Amino acid sequence: MSSVNKNIKLFLYKNFPVVLLFVIVLNEIDFNYLDLKYFSFNFSYILIFHYSIKRSQSLGYIYIFIAGLFNDVIVGTPIGLSSLMYLILCVAAAYLRNITLRPSLIKDGIFFLITILIINSLLFIALNLIFDYELELFDQIINITFTFLLYFLFSNIFNFCEKYLMSNNNVK
Amino acid sequence: MEPSRDDFVIAIRSAFLKKGAQQRFSLLSLIFFSIIFLILGSFNFKVTNYVKIAIEEIVYRSSFIVSIPENLLKDNYVVVQNYLNLYKVNEKNISELKELKSKNISKNITEYENIRLKQLIDDYFVAGNEIFAKVLIDKKSPFLRSVIINKGSKNSIKLGMAVLDGIYFIGKVVEVNYITSRVLLISDINSKIPVSLEPNNIQAIMSGNGNEKGIIEYISGTNLKNKNEKLIVFTSGMAGLFKSGIPIGIIDKKNLLSDTGLMVDFYKDLSQLKYVKILSFEKEFLNSTIQTKEVVNKINIENLKNENIDFLKKQKEISEDIRKKLEDQNSLLNKQLIELRKENIELNNLIKEGKDIVSQDAERQKDIKFLELNLLYGSKCSKNNFKNILKKKYRIGTPEYRACVLNKGKY
Repeated sequence: MSSVNKNIKLFLYKNFPVVLLFVIVLNEIDFNYLDLKYFSFNFSYILIFHYSIKRSQSLGYIYIFIAGLFNDVIVGTPIGLSSLMYLILCVAAAYLRNITLRPSLIKDGIFFLITILIINSLLFIALNLIFDYELELFDQIINITFTFLLYFLFSNIFNFCEKYLMSNNNVK
Repeated sequence: MEPSRDDFVIAIRSAFLKKGAQQRFSLLSLIFFSIIFLILGSFNFKVTNYVKIAIEEIVYRSSFIVSIPENLLKDNYVVVQNYLNLYKVNEKNISELKELKSKNISKNITEYENIRLKQLIDDYFVAGNEIFAKVLIDKKSPFLRSVIINKGSKNSIKLGMAVLDGIYFIGKVVEVNYITSRVLLISDINSKIPVSLEPNNIQAIMSGNGNEKGIIEYISGTNLKNKNEKLIVFTSGMAGLFKSGIPIGIIDKKNLLSDTGLMVDFYKDLSQLKYVKILSFEKEFLNSTIQTKEVVNKINIENLKNENIDFLKKQKEISEDIRKKLEDQNSLLNKQLIELRKENIELNNLIKEGKDIVSQDAERQKDIKFLELNLLYGSKCSKNNFKNILKKKYRIGTPEYRACVLNKGKY
Protein backbone atom coordinates (compact mmCIF):
# COMPACT_ATOMS: atom_id res chain seq x y z
CA MET A 1 0.00 0.00 0.00
CA SER A 2 2.79 2.36 0.90
CA SER A 3 4.56 1.63 -2.39
CA VAL A 4 1.37 2.53 -4.30
CA ASN A 5 1.16 5.81 -2.38
CA LYS A 6 4.80 6.43 -3.06
CA ASN A 7 4.29 5.80 -6.79
CA ILE A 8 1.32 8.18 -6.89
CA LYS A 9 3.31 10.86 -5.12
CA LEU A 10 6.24 10.28 -7.45
CA PHE A 11 3.94 10.62 -10.46
CA LEU A 12 2.37 13.77 -9.05
CA TYR A 13 5.74 15.25 -8.22
CA LYS A 14 7.04 14.63 -11.71
CA ASN A 15 3.96 15.59 -13.71
CA PHE A 16 2.12 18.07 -11.49
CA PRO A 17 3.40 21.21 -13.30
CA VAL A 18 2.62 19.86 -16.79
CA VAL A 19 -0.84 18.62 -15.82
CA LEU A 20 -1.61 21.88 -14.06
CA LEU A 21 -0.38 23.89 -17.03
CA PHE A 22 -2.70 22.07 -19.45
CA VAL A 23 -5.66 22.23 -17.05
CA ILE A 24 -5.14 25.97 -16.67
CA VAL A 25 -4.77 26.54 -20.38
CA LEU A 26 -7.86 24.50 -21.23
CA ASN A 27 -9.90 25.83 -18.33
CA GLU A 28 -8.50 29.33 -17.81
CA ILE A 29 -9.13 29.56 -14.09
CA ASP A 30 -9.53 33.31 -13.83
CA PHE A 31 -12.63 33.81 -11.63
CA ASN A 32 -14.26 35.90 -14.34
CA TYR A 33 -17.69 34.60 -13.37
CA LEU A 34 -17.43 36.60 -10.14
CA ASP A 35 -17.82 39.69 -12.32
CA LEU A 36 -15.05 41.54 -10.55
CA LYS A 37 -14.53 44.48 -12.83
CA TYR A 38 -10.94 45.18 -12.02
CA PHE A 39 -9.55 41.71 -11.52
CA SER A 40 -7.79 39.39 -13.94
CA PHE A 41 -4.51 37.58 -13.89
CA ASN A 42 -2.49 35.18 -16.01
CA PHE A 43 -1.96 32.03 -14.01
CA SER A 44 -0.02 30.26 -16.76
CA TYR A 45 2.69 32.95 -16.69
CA ILE A 46 3.13 32.43 -12.94
CA LEU A 47 3.31 28.65 -13.30
CA ILE A 48 5.74 28.66 -16.20
CA PHE A 49 8.06 31.23 -14.64
CA HIS A 50 8.06 29.57 -11.24
CA TYR A 51 8.81 26.07 -12.51
CA SER A 52 11.31 27.29 -15.10
CA ILE A 53 13.31 28.80 -12.26
CA LYS A 54 12.85 26.18 -9.57
CA ARG A 55 12.68 22.95 -11.52
CA SER A 56 13.27 23.53 -15.21
CA GLN A 57 13.24 19.83 -16.08
CA SER A 58 9.63 19.45 -14.82
CA LEU A 59 8.13 21.58 -17.60
CA GLY A 60 9.42 20.51 -20.99
CA TYR A 61 9.74 23.33 -23.49
CA ILE A 62 7.79 21.32 -26.02
CA TYR A 63 4.86 21.05 -23.57
CA ILE A 64 5.00 24.79 -23.02
CA PHE A 65 4.98 25.29 -26.78
CA ILE A 66 1.91 23.02 -27.19
CA ALA A 67 0.17 24.67 -24.23
CA GLY A 68 0.70 28.01 -25.96
CA LEU A 69 -0.92 26.69 -29.13
CA PHE A 70 -3.88 25.45 -27.08
CA ASN A 71 -4.16 28.81 -25.35
CA ASP A 72 -4.26 30.60 -28.70
CA VAL A 73 -7.08 28.36 -29.84
CA ILE A 74 -9.06 28.90 -26.64
CA VAL A 75 -8.58 32.65 -26.43
CA GLY A 76 -8.84 33.20 -30.18
CA THR A 77 -5.53 34.98 -30.73
CA PRO A 78 -3.37 34.20 -33.78
CA ILE A 79 -1.92 30.73 -33.44
CA GLY A 80 1.68 30.68 -32.23
CA LEU A 81 1.52 33.99 -30.38
CA SER A 82 1.00 32.63 -26.85
CA SER A 83 3.66 29.96 -27.50
CA LEU A 84 6.09 32.70 -28.40
CA MET A 85 5.26 34.63 -25.23
CA TYR A 86 5.55 31.54 -23.03
CA LEU A 87 8.91 30.70 -24.56
CA ILE A 88 10.22 34.25 -24.08
CA LEU A 89 9.17 33.86 -20.44
CA CYS A 90 11.19 30.62 -20.34
CA VAL A 91 14.21 32.40 -21.83
CA ALA A 92 14.00 35.07 -19.13
CA ALA A 93 13.65 32.42 -16.43
CA ALA A 94 16.60 30.43 -17.81
CA TYR A 95 18.73 33.58 -17.90
CA LEU A 96 17.79 34.41 -14.30
CA ARG A 97 18.61 30.84 -13.26
CA ASN A 98 22.02 31.03 -14.91
CA ILE A 99 23.03 34.29 -13.29
CA THR A 100 21.57 33.66 -9.81
CA LEU A 101 23.85 32.36 -7.09
CA ARG A 102 21.61 32.97 -4.10
CA PRO A 103 17.89 32.65 -4.98
CA SER A 104 15.41 35.03 -3.37
CA LEU A 105 11.66 35.33 -3.91
CA ILE A 106 11.70 39.13 -3.97
CA LYS A 107 14.37 39.26 -6.70
CA ASP A 108 12.53 36.59 -8.68
CA GLY A 109 9.32 38.60 -8.33
CA ILE A 110 10.92 41.81 -9.58
CA PHE A 111 12.48 40.00 -12.51
CA PHE A 112 9.11 38.40 -13.21
CA LEU A 113 7.46 41.82 -13.24
CA ILE A 114 9.98 43.16 -15.76
CA THR A 115 9.53 40.06 -17.90
CA ILE A 116 5.72 40.19 -17.98
CA LEU A 117 5.86 43.90 -18.74
CA ILE A 118 8.03 43.14 -21.77
CA ILE A 119 5.90 40.15 -22.80
CA ASN A 120 2.61 42.02 -22.52
CA SER A 121 4.06 44.96 -24.41
CA LEU A 122 5.11 42.62 -27.20
CA LEU A 123 1.69 40.98 -27.12
CA PHE A 124 -0.04 44.36 -27.28
CA ILE A 125 2.14 45.54 -30.16
CA ALA A 126 1.69 42.29 -32.08
CA LEU A 127 -2.09 42.14 -31.63
CA ASN A 128 -2.77 45.82 -32.09
CA LEU A 129 -0.39 46.75 -34.86
CA ILE A 130 0.16 43.55 -36.81
CA PHE A 131 -3.06 41.58 -36.39
CA ASP A 132 -5.54 44.51 -36.01
CA TYR A 133 -7.04 43.38 -32.71
CA GLU A 134 -8.28 46.08 -30.37
CA LEU A 135 -7.12 45.70 -26.78
CA GLU A 136 -7.88 47.71 -23.67
CA LEU A 137 -4.61 49.00 -22.27
CA PHE A 138 -6.18 49.40 -18.84
CA ASP A 139 -7.19 45.71 -18.76
CA GLN A 140 -3.64 44.76 -19.64
CA ILE A 141 -2.25 46.87 -16.81
CA ILE A 142 -4.68 45.29 -14.34
CA ASN A 143 -3.73 41.86 -15.61
CA ILE A 144 -0.01 42.56 -15.20
CA THR A 145 -0.48 44.03 -11.72
CA PHE A 146 -2.46 41.09 -10.38
CA THR A 147 -0.20 38.55 -12.09
CA PHE A 148 2.79 40.16 -10.36
CA LEU A 149 1.09 40.36 -6.95
CA LEU A 150 -0.23 36.82 -7.08
CA TYR A 151 3.18 35.47 -8.10
CA PHE A 152 4.33 35.60 -4.47
CA LEU A 153 1.23 33.80 -3.21
CA PHE A 154 1.28 31.04 -5.82
CA SER A 155 5.04 30.63 -5.56
CA ASN A 156 4.66 29.86 -1.86
CA ILE A 157 1.74 27.52 -2.56
CA PHE A 158 3.78 25.62 -5.17
CA ASN A 159 6.70 25.35 -2.75
CA PHE A 160 4.38 24.03 -0.06
CA CYS A 161 2.90 21.43 -2.43
CA GLU A 162 6.37 20.30 -3.48
CA LYS A 163 7.45 19.95 0.13
CA TYR A 164 4.35 17.89 0.85
CA LEU A 165 4.96 15.61 -2.12
CA MET A 166 8.64 15.20 -1.23
CA SER A 167 8.01 14.50 2.45
CA ASN A 168 7.97 10.88 3.68
CA ASN A 169 9.05 9.62 0.29
CA ASN A 170 12.39 11.19 -0.44
CA VAL A 171 11.20 11.62 -3.98
CA LYS A 172 13.99 12.78 -6.21
CA MET B 1 33.88 45.35 -18.36
CA GLU B 2 35.03 42.53 -20.58
CA PRO B 3 34.39 39.59 -18.17
CA SER B 4 30.88 40.79 -17.20
CA ARG B 5 29.91 41.15 -20.87
CA ASP B 6 31.17 37.64 -21.45
CA ASP B 7 29.08 36.38 -18.53
CA PHE B 8 25.97 38.00 -19.97
CA VAL B 9 26.60 36.47 -23.40
CA ILE B 10 27.26 33.08 -21.88
CA ALA B 11 24.10 33.24 -19.75
CA ILE B 12 21.96 34.30 -22.70
CA ARG B 13 23.48 31.71 -25.01
CA SER B 14 22.98 29.06 -22.38
CA ALA B 15 19.35 30.14 -21.88
CA PHE B 16 18.61 29.95 -25.58
CA LEU B 17 20.56 26.89 -26.61
CA LYS B 18 21.06 24.65 -23.60
CA LYS B 19 18.75 21.66 -23.53
CA GLY B 20 17.92 20.13 -20.16
CA ALA B 21 18.10 16.45 -19.39
CA GLN B 22 14.59 15.81 -20.66
CA GLN B 23 14.35 18.58 -23.26
CA ARG B 24 14.28 17.50 -26.87
CA PHE B 25 14.23 20.96 -28.38
CA SER B 26 16.14 24.08 -27.48
CA LEU B 27 14.21 27.26 -26.71
CA LEU B 28 15.59 28.96 -29.79
CA SER B 29 14.24 26.30 -32.14
CA LEU B 30 10.79 26.41 -30.50
CA ILE B 31 10.70 30.22 -30.68
CA PHE B 32 11.60 29.86 -34.32
CA PHE B 33 8.67 27.40 -34.78
CA SER B 34 6.27 29.83 -33.11
CA ILE B 35 7.29 32.67 -35.40
CA ILE B 36 6.87 30.41 -38.44
CA PHE B 37 3.37 29.47 -37.22
CA LEU B 38 2.49 33.13 -36.80
CA ILE B 39 3.75 34.14 -40.22
CA LEU B 40 2.10 31.23 -42.03
CA GLY B 41 -1.14 31.82 -40.10
CA SER B 42 -1.22 35.50 -41.04
CA PHE B 43 -0.86 34.58 -44.74
CA ASN B 44 -3.72 32.03 -44.50
CA PHE B 45 -1.45 29.20 -45.53
CA LYS B 46 -3.56 26.11 -46.20
CA VAL B 47 -1.53 23.59 -44.22
CA THR B 48 -1.49 25.90 -41.19
CA ASN B 49 -5.24 26.33 -41.44
CA TYR B 50 -5.77 22.55 -41.45
CA VAL B 51 -3.45 22.16 -38.47
CA LYS B 52 -5.29 24.98 -36.73
CA ILE B 53 -8.70 23.41 -37.38
CA ALA B 54 -7.47 20.01 -36.11
CA ILE B 55 -6.09 21.61 -32.93
CA GLU B 56 -9.30 23.56 -32.46
CA GLU B 57 -11.49 20.46 -32.70
CA ILE B 58 -9.37 18.66 -30.10
CA VAL B 59 -8.96 21.63 -27.80
CA TYR B 60 -12.63 22.69 -27.77
CA ARG B 61 -13.80 19.22 -26.81
CA SER B 62 -11.13 18.68 -24.19
CA SER B 63 -11.65 22.18 -22.82
CA PHE B 64 -15.34 21.42 -22.44
CA ILE B 65 -14.51 18.33 -20.40
CA VAL B 66 -11.81 20.05 -18.32
CA SER B 67 -14.16 22.98 -17.64
CA ILE B 68 -16.87 20.78 -16.09
CA PRO B 69 -15.76 21.28 -12.45
CA GLU B 70 -15.38 25.04 -12.89
CA ASN B 71 -18.72 25.21 -14.69
CA LEU B 72 -20.34 23.33 -11.82
CA LEU B 73 -18.88 25.81 -9.39
CA LYS B 74 -19.95 28.71 -11.56
CA ASP B 75 -23.49 27.34 -11.98
CA ASN B 76 -23.86 26.90 -8.23
CA TYR B 77 -22.63 30.42 -7.66
CA VAL B 78 -25.17 31.72 -10.15
CA VAL B 79 -27.95 29.67 -8.53
CA VAL B 80 -27.14 31.12 -5.12
CA GLN B 81 -27.06 34.62 -6.55
CA ASN B 82 -30.42 34.04 -8.23
CA TYR B 83 -31.96 32.81 -4.99
CA LEU B 84 -30.72 35.89 -3.20
CA ASN B 85 -32.22 38.16 -5.83
CA LEU B 86 -35.44 36.16 -6.24
CA TYR B 87 -37.78 38.45 -4.33
CA LYS B 88 -36.66 41.64 -6.06
CA VAL B 89 -36.69 40.00 -9.48
CA ASN B 90 -40.18 38.64 -8.87
CA GLU B 91 -41.55 42.05 -7.93
CA LYS B 92 -39.91 43.62 -10.94
CA ASN B 93 -41.22 40.87 -13.22
CA ILE B 94 -44.78 41.30 -12.01
CA SER B 95 -44.76 45.02 -12.71
CA GLU B 96 -43.08 44.48 -16.08
CA LEU B 97 -45.58 41.78 -16.99
CA LYS B 98 -48.49 44.12 -16.37
CA GLU B 99 -46.90 46.77 -18.51
CA LEU B 100 -46.02 44.36 -21.29
CA LYS B 101 -49.46 42.81 -21.42
CA SER B 102 -50.95 46.18 -22.19
CA LYS B 103 -48.30 46.92 -24.79
CA ASN B 104 -48.54 43.56 -26.50
CA ILE B 105 -51.81 44.17 -28.29
CA SER B 106 -50.74 47.42 -29.88
CA LYS B 107 -47.49 45.72 -30.90
CA ASN B 108 -49.41 42.94 -32.63
CA ILE B 109 -51.41 45.51 -34.56
CA THR B 110 -48.25 47.29 -35.67
CA GLU B 111 -46.70 44.00 -36.75
CA TYR B 112 -49.66 42.97 -38.84
CA GLU B 113 -49.96 46.40 -40.35
CA ASN B 114 -46.30 46.25 -41.22
CA ILE B 115 -46.78 42.93 -42.99
CA ARG B 116 -49.82 44.24 -44.86
CA LEU B 117 -48.01 47.36 -45.96
CA LYS B 118 -45.02 45.36 -47.11
CA GLN B 119 -47.36 43.20 -49.15
CA LEU B 120 -48.95 46.30 -50.61
CA ILE B 121 -45.66 47.62 -51.88
CA ASP B 122 -44.62 44.11 -52.95
CA ASP B 123 -41.64 44.12 -50.61
CA TYR B 124 -39.93 41.00 -49.32
CA PHE B 125 -39.87 39.38 -45.95
CA VAL B 126 -36.73 38.14 -44.39
CA ALA B 127 -36.86 34.53 -43.34
CA GLY B 128 -34.06 32.35 -42.14
CA ASN B 129 -33.00 28.82 -41.27
CA GLU B 130 -32.72 28.36 -37.54
CA ILE B 131 -30.02 26.22 -36.01
CA PHE B 132 -29.85 25.71 -32.28
CA ALA B 133 -26.49 25.16 -30.63
CA LYS B 134 -25.07 24.60 -27.19
CA VAL B 135 -22.34 26.85 -25.81
CA LEU B 136 -19.30 24.65 -25.22
CA ILE B 137 -16.79 27.15 -23.89
CA ASP B 138 -17.49 30.57 -22.48
CA LYS B 139 -14.21 31.91 -21.19
CA LYS B 140 -15.02 35.58 -20.75
CA SER B 141 -11.39 36.48 -21.29
CA PRO B 142 -10.81 40.20 -20.81
CA PHE B 143 -9.10 40.35 -24.17
CA LEU B 144 -11.58 38.58 -26.41
CA ARG B 145 -15.26 38.10 -25.71
CA SER B 146 -16.26 35.02 -27.64
CA VAL B 147 -17.93 31.65 -27.10
CA ILE B 148 -17.54 28.29 -28.79
CA ILE B 149 -20.67 26.47 -29.95
CA ASN B 150 -21.11 22.82 -30.81
CA LYS B 151 -22.25 23.30 -34.41
CA GLY B 152 -19.97 23.78 -37.39
CA SER B 153 -19.80 23.50 -41.16
CA LYS B 154 -21.31 20.00 -40.81
CA ASN B 155 -24.53 21.71 -39.68
CA SER B 156 -24.42 24.38 -42.43
CA ILE B 157 -23.00 27.10 -40.21
CA LYS B 158 -21.38 29.83 -42.24
CA LEU B 159 -19.20 32.81 -41.45
CA GLY B 160 -21.10 35.97 -40.54
CA MET B 161 -24.34 34.25 -39.47
CA ALA B 162 -26.27 36.07 -36.76
CA VAL B 163 -26.45 34.51 -33.30
CA LEU B 164 -29.48 35.13 -31.11
CA ASP B 165 -30.49 34.26 -27.57
CA GLY B 166 -34.27 34.16 -27.67
CA ILE B 167 -35.17 37.11 -29.84
CA TYR B 168 -32.15 39.18 -28.86
CA PHE B 169 -29.05 39.61 -30.95
CA ILE B 170 -25.86 38.53 -29.16
CA GLY B 171 -23.14 38.10 -31.78
CA LYS B 172 -21.98 36.70 -35.08
CA VAL B 173 -20.08 33.64 -36.25
CA VAL B 174 -16.43 34.52 -36.91
CA GLU B 175 -14.82 31.11 -37.23
CA VAL B 176 -16.25 27.84 -38.53
CA ASN B 177 -14.75 24.41 -37.98
CA TYR B 178 -16.25 21.06 -38.92
CA ILE B 179 -18.24 20.47 -35.72
CA THR B 180 -17.60 23.65 -33.75
CA SER B 181 -17.70 27.40 -34.39
CA ARG B 182 -16.61 30.57 -32.63
CA VAL B 183 -19.09 33.34 -31.97
CA LEU B 184 -17.79 36.86 -31.43
CA LEU B 185 -20.06 38.48 -28.86
CA ILE B 186 -21.34 42.02 -29.25
CA SER B 187 -19.55 42.97 -26.03
CA ASP B 188 -16.15 42.44 -27.68
CA ILE B 189 -14.18 45.54 -28.65
CA ASN B 190 -13.63 44.13 -32.14
CA SER B 191 -17.33 43.63 -32.79
CA LYS B 192 -18.75 46.37 -35.03
CA ILE B 193 -22.48 46.12 -35.64
CA PRO B 194 -24.54 48.55 -37.74
CA VAL B 195 -27.45 49.59 -35.53
CA SER B 196 -30.32 52.01 -35.54
CA LEU B 197 -31.49 53.89 -32.46
CA GLU B 198 -35.22 54.29 -31.97
CA PRO B 199 -37.12 56.57 -31.79
CA ASN B 200 -35.82 58.91 -34.51
CA ASN B 201 -34.23 56.08 -36.54
CA ILE B 202 -30.65 57.22 -35.99
CA GLN B 203 -28.03 55.11 -37.76
CA ALA B 204 -24.85 54.20 -35.90
CA ILE B 205 -22.14 51.59 -35.38
CA MET B 206 -22.02 49.74 -32.08
CA SER B 207 -18.93 48.19 -30.59
CA GLY B 208 -18.41 46.30 -27.33
CA ASN B 209 -16.45 47.76 -24.45
CA GLY B 210 -14.81 44.49 -23.47
CA ASN B 211 -17.08 44.08 -20.45
CA GLU B 212 -20.84 43.67 -20.44
CA LYS B 213 -21.81 46.82 -22.32
CA GLY B 214 -21.77 48.26 -25.80
CA ILE B 215 -20.62 51.66 -27.02
CA ILE B 216 -22.16 53.68 -29.82
CA GLU B 217 -19.14 54.72 -31.81
CA TYR B 218 -20.18 56.41 -35.02
CA ILE B 219 -23.42 58.33 -35.05
CA SER B 220 -24.20 59.75 -38.44
CA GLY B 221 -24.11 63.49 -37.74
CA THR B 222 -26.66 63.54 -34.94
CA ASN B 223 -26.45 65.09 -31.54
CA LEU B 224 -28.39 62.95 -29.11
CA LYS B 225 -27.92 65.01 -25.99
CA ASN B 226 -31.26 66.79 -26.15
CA LYS B 227 -33.36 63.87 -27.28
CA ASN B 228 -35.31 61.19 -25.47
CA GLU B 229 -34.07 59.72 -22.23
CA LYS B 230 -34.23 56.12 -23.40
CA LEU B 231 -33.21 54.81 -26.80
CA ILE B 232 -33.76 51.28 -28.04
CA VAL B 233 -30.97 49.73 -30.09
CA PHE B 234 -31.85 47.45 -33.02
CA THR B 235 -29.84 45.96 -35.84
CA SER B 236 -30.22 48.31 -38.77
CA GLY B 237 -29.81 45.74 -41.53
CA MET B 238 -27.29 48.04 -43.24
CA ALA B 239 -24.73 46.35 -45.49
CA GLY B 240 -27.04 43.34 -45.66
CA LEU B 241 -25.31 41.60 -42.78
CA PHE B 242 -28.34 40.93 -40.63
CA LYS B 243 -32.08 41.36 -40.77
CA SER B 244 -33.16 44.79 -39.56
CA GLY B 245 -35.05 45.18 -36.31
CA ILE B 246 -33.44 42.54 -34.11
CA PRO B 247 -33.38 44.05 -30.60
CA ILE B 248 -29.96 44.40 -28.97
CA GLY B 249 -30.24 46.64 -25.93
CA ILE B 250 -31.28 49.94 -24.46
CA ILE B 251 -29.52 53.25 -23.89
CA ASP B 252 -30.50 55.03 -20.73
CA LYS B 253 -29.34 58.60 -21.18
CA LYS B 254 -29.50 59.20 -17.46
CA ASN B 255 -26.32 57.13 -17.25
CA LEU B 256 -24.67 59.07 -20.05
CA LEU B 257 -21.08 59.99 -19.27
CA SER B 258 -19.26 62.57 -21.31
CA ASP B 259 -16.04 60.56 -21.57
CA THR B 260 -17.49 57.16 -22.46
CA GLY B 261 -20.27 58.26 -24.80
CA LEU B 262 -23.48 56.32 -25.22
CA MET B 263 -23.41 53.03 -23.34
CA VAL B 264 -25.76 50.25 -24.41
CA ASP B 265 -27.20 47.93 -21.77
CA PHE B 266 -27.77 44.61 -23.50
CA TYR B 267 -31.08 42.88 -23.05
CA LYS B 268 -29.29 39.59 -22.49
CA ASP B 269 -26.67 38.75 -19.90
CA LEU B 270 -23.85 37.57 -22.14
CA SER B 271 -22.13 35.74 -19.31
CA GLN B 272 -25.08 33.36 -18.89
CA LEU B 273 -25.35 31.87 -22.36
CA LYS B 274 -26.27 28.18 -22.51
CA TYR B 275 -28.09 27.65 -25.79
CA VAL B 276 -28.11 29.98 -28.77
CA LYS B 277 -29.91 30.26 -32.07
CA ILE B 278 -27.97 30.77 -35.28
CA LEU B 279 -29.81 32.36 -38.17
CA SER B 280 -29.11 32.88 -41.83
CA PHE B 281 -31.31 35.34 -43.65
CA GLU B 282 -32.81 34.82 -47.04
CA LYS B 283 -35.20 36.87 -49.11
CA GLU B 284 -38.54 35.37 -49.88
CA PHE B 285 -41.43 36.99 -51.78
CA LEU B 286 -44.99 36.74 -50.54
CA ASN B 287 -47.74 37.74 -52.94
CA SER B 288 -50.62 35.41 -52.26
CA THR B 289 -53.98 37.10 -51.69
CA ILE B 290 -55.02 34.44 -49.18
CA GLN B 291 -52.21 35.45 -46.88
CA THR B 292 -53.17 39.08 -47.35
CA LYS B 293 -56.75 38.31 -46.33
CA GLU B 294 -55.56 36.39 -43.31
CA VAL B 295 -53.41 39.29 -42.25
CA VAL B 296 -56.25 41.78 -42.80
CA ASN B 297 -58.57 39.58 -40.72
CA LYS B 298 -56.01 39.43 -37.98
CA ILE B 299 -55.66 43.21 -38.04
CA ASN B 300 -59.42 43.59 -37.78
CA ILE B 301 -59.58 41.21 -34.83
CA GLU B 302 -56.77 43.01 -33.10
CA ASN B 303 -58.38 46.38 -33.80
CA LEU B 304 -61.64 45.10 -32.30
CA LYS B 305 -59.76 43.91 -29.24
CA ASN B 306 -58.09 47.26 -28.99
CA GLU B 307 -61.44 49.10 -29.19
CA ASN B 308 -62.86 46.86 -26.48
CA ILE B 309 -59.91 47.55 -24.34
CA ASP B 310 -60.29 51.31 -24.88
CA PHE B 311 -63.97 51.07 -23.93
CA LEU B 312 -63.15 49.06 -20.82
CA LYS B 313 -60.43 51.50 -19.92
CA LYS B 314 -62.89 54.40 -20.12
CA GLN B 315 -65.43 52.48 -18.05
CA LYS B 316 -62.74 51.79 -15.54
CA GLU B 317 -61.82 55.47 -15.42
CA ILE B 318 -65.46 56.48 -14.80
CA SER B 319 -65.95 53.88 -12.09
CA GLU B 320 -62.68 54.99 -10.55
CA ASP B 321 -63.98 58.59 -10.45
CA ILE B 322 -67.25 57.50 -8.84
CA ARG B 323 -65.42 55.36 -6.35
CA LYS B 324 -63.17 58.26 -5.45
CA LYS B 325 -66.12 60.62 -4.93
CA LEU B 326 -67.93 58.04 -2.79
CA GLU B 327 -64.82 57.54 -0.75
CA ASP B 328 -64.54 61.31 -0.19
CA GLN B 329 -68.19 61.52 0.90
CA ASN B 330 -67.76 58.52 3.12
CA SER B 331 -64.78 60.02 4.87
CA LEU B 332 -66.68 63.32 5.35
CA LEU B 333 -69.67 61.51 6.87
CA ASN B 334 -67.38 59.52 9.10
CA LYS B 335 -65.88 62.74 10.43
CA GLN B 336 -69.35 64.19 11.08
CA LEU B 337 -70.42 61.01 12.86
CA ILE B 338 -67.39 61.13 15.10
CA GLU B 339 -68.13 64.77 16.00
CA LEU B 340 -71.80 63.97 16.75
CA ARG B 341 -70.77 61.11 18.99
CA LYS B 342 -68.54 63.45 20.92
CA GLU B 343 -71.38 65.98 21.32
CA ASN B 344 -73.71 63.19 22.47
CA ILE B 345 -71.29 62.12 25.15
CA GLU B 346 -70.94 65.73 26.37
CA LEU B 347 -74.75 66.16 26.53
CA ASN B 348 -75.16 62.90 28.43
CA ASN B 349 -72.66 64.14 30.94
CA LEU B 350 -74.61 67.40 31.37
CA ILE B 351 -77.89 65.50 31.89
CA LYS B 352 -76.29 63.32 34.49
CA GLU B 353 -75.00 66.36 36.35
CA GLY B 354 -78.54 67.94 36.21
CA LYS B 355 -80.11 64.76 37.56
CA ASP B 356 -77.69 64.73 40.42
CA ILE B 357 -78.55 68.33 41.29
CA VAL B 358 -82.32 67.55 41.13
CA SER B 359 -81.98 64.52 43.36
CA GLN B 360 -79.93 66.57 45.85
CA ASP B 361 -82.70 69.24 45.86
CA ALA B 362 -85.39 66.63 46.54
CA GLU B 363 -83.39 65.33 49.47
CA ARG B 364 -83.09 68.85 50.86
CA GLN B 365 -86.86 69.42 50.42
CA LYS B 366 -87.56 66.22 52.36
CA ASP B 367 -85.19 67.31 55.10
CA ILE B 368 -86.86 70.75 55.35
CA LYS B 369 -90.33 69.14 55.45
CA PHE B 370 -89.17 66.76 58.18
CA LEU B 371 -87.74 69.66 60.23
CA GLU B 372 -91.00 71.61 59.89
CA LEU B 373 -93.10 68.59 60.96
CA ASN B 374 -90.60 67.81 63.67
CA LEU B 375 -91.34 71.16 65.27
CA LEU B 376 -95.07 70.34 65.25
CA TYR B 377 -95.22 66.61 65.91
CA GLY B 378 -91.80 65.81 67.33
CA SER B 379 -93.18 65.75 70.89
CA LYS B 380 -95.79 63.15 69.92
CA CYS B 381 -93.23 60.73 68.64
CA SER B 382 -90.41 61.42 71.08
CA LYS B 383 -89.67 59.01 73.91
CA ASN B 384 -88.71 61.94 76.19
CA ASN B 385 -92.27 63.29 76.49
CA PHE B 386 -93.94 62.23 79.73
CA LYS B 387 -97.43 62.47 78.27
CA ASN B 388 -96.72 59.79 75.88
CA ILE B 389 -95.48 57.40 78.46
CA LEU B 390 -98.24 54.90 77.73
CA LYS B 391 -98.05 55.30 74.00
CA LYS B 392 -95.61 53.83 71.63
CA LYS B 393 -92.54 56.06 71.36
CA TYR B 394 -89.29 56.26 69.42
CA ARG B 395 -85.84 57.49 70.12
CA ILE B 396 -84.87 60.70 68.26
CA GLY B 397 -82.83 60.17 65.17
CA THR B 398 -84.05 56.67 64.37
CA PRO B 399 -85.80 55.92 61.05
CA GLU B 400 -89.01 54.97 62.97
CA TYR B 401 -89.00 58.38 64.66
CA ARG B 402 -88.55 60.05 61.25
CA ALA B 403 -91.46 58.02 59.81
CA CYS B 404 -93.63 58.95 62.83
CA VAL B 405 -92.88 62.69 62.37
CA LEU B 406 -93.58 62.50 58.63
CA ASN B 407 -96.94 60.77 59.44
CA LYS B 408 -97.73 63.75 61.63
CA GLY B 409 -97.48 61.90 64.91
CA LYS B 410 -99.53 58.88 63.85
CA TYR B 411 -98.05 55.56 64.59
